[in-house]
Amino acid sequence: MRVLVVVEDDPDVQFLIETVFSEDDRFSVAVLTASAENALEVARTTEPGVIVLDHGLAGPLTGLEVAPRLKEVAPNAKIILFTAHEELRYSAADEPAIDGFLLKTDITQLLPLAQRLTGLGPRT
Amino acid sequence: MTSAETQVAQGQGQGSVEAKAAPPTDAILANGLEVGDERPTEADNQRALMNILEDIDSDRIRLEATQSAILNILDDFDAERRKVEEANLDLQAVNEAMRGFIAVAAHDLRSPLASIVGFSALLKESWETLTDENRLKFVATIDRQSQNLSRLVNDLLTLSSVEGGSMNTRPEAIVLEEAVLRCLDLGAGDTVNVSLSCSPDLVVWVDPDHLGRILDNFIQNAFNYGAPPVQITAERRGGMVEMRVLDHGLGVPPEFVPRLFGKFARATSPKTAAQKGTGLGLSIARALAELNGGETFYEPNVPNGSCFVVRLPSADVPQP
Repeated sequence: MRVLVVVEDDPDVQFLIETVFSEDDRFSVAVLTASAENALEVARTTEPGVIVLDHGLAGPLTGLEVAPRLKEVAPNAKIILFTAHEELRYSAADEPAIDGFLLKTDITQLLPLAQRLTGLGPRT
Repeated sequence: MTSAETQVAQGQGQGSVEAKAAPPTDAILANGLEVGDERPTEADNQRALMNILEDIDSDRIRLEATQSAILNILDDFDAERRKVEEANLDLQAVNEAMRGFIAVAAHDLRSPLASIVGFSALLKESWETLTDENRLKFVATIDRQSQNLSRLVNDLLTLSSVEGGSMNTRPEAIVLEEAVLRCLDLGAGDTVNVSLSCSPDLVVWVDPDHLGRILDNFIQNAFNYGAPPVQITAERRGGMVEMRVLDHGLGVPPEFVPRLFGKFARATSPKTAAQKGTGLGLSIARALAELNGGETFYEPNVPNGSCFVVRLPSADVPQP
């Protein structure tokens, strides 16, 4: 079972991500949170396998800024930057803490990406 | 030949005429000259020299005048260069603001779009496995986000046409009290906690659609970001009518006030985070008020809360 932490400030998108991952019972959504600061606390205690991370968050820290700190506290987590900002693609690629990048408009690719990054592969 | 040379030549000629008229025979003989020789006298030379000096002096004056004119031209060039540099800086600032505006607009357009695309894609791909409850939630979210998107696009178009100068105004005399009551009737806020103090004599000269938009923005802001009770007051000030919308919430953080009427202005607070405004409402209200010859501004509502003010031309003052 891979624990999933969703860091996203839009409740609609939180619900969307939760629904997407409910399709695969090998993932378990541990926490939905809107701020990077709270995500750090959660990541310390839940040992997440996947963190879906938005860029623009409720607090002062952005997704890109908090990613290295999340990796520090949860080194086994695969971090996916899930954002509406296309222009962050290269910054995300340059950030070693980020394992995957996906635009929000490509939501249907989110579960396959998480399955691939965690080595689980598609649900059969 | 310069004028100085001409004068020297004339001086020599005059000298020879004088020598012919009264030849100083002894002096000529003493110098070993023959009668009839035409040599300039010392006086001639002095006059010629004086003429040359006068010419040099007038040339110097002309040169100084030319130099002064050139310096003036250079000063003018320098002033023009500074103006061009300032205009360039202004243009850079406008470009920078425009880039920022486009980036925020693009992001704000993408967010609802992402939800619409995401939920509709999931509906299509997972229709069979979704529960009825989730299907309904998905459709409701698509509907809400479509409305958000529509509102944002409308706001962007409104702002663009106001700022681009393509929006016309058709002002008419409007009884302010009636317009406010109509806005409260149409609005979604809790009107129980609203008090209105506005004389029926107060009539503004403004485009009715624009007034409706300004009133709706101010009143909805008080409901969404402030706290009850909401007070709406209006009074005459010179040739203008001043309307104030006051609430008793936390007010606008002082550091945010300068940006309050800017585009995509959203202060960071739990109340604003919970709202899904486009961040363009106040800038549109200001632009529309100015388009109608009015103005808008903000004041803190002491001891707590916000006070948004709009001043509009009074209809009983002759309008240009």
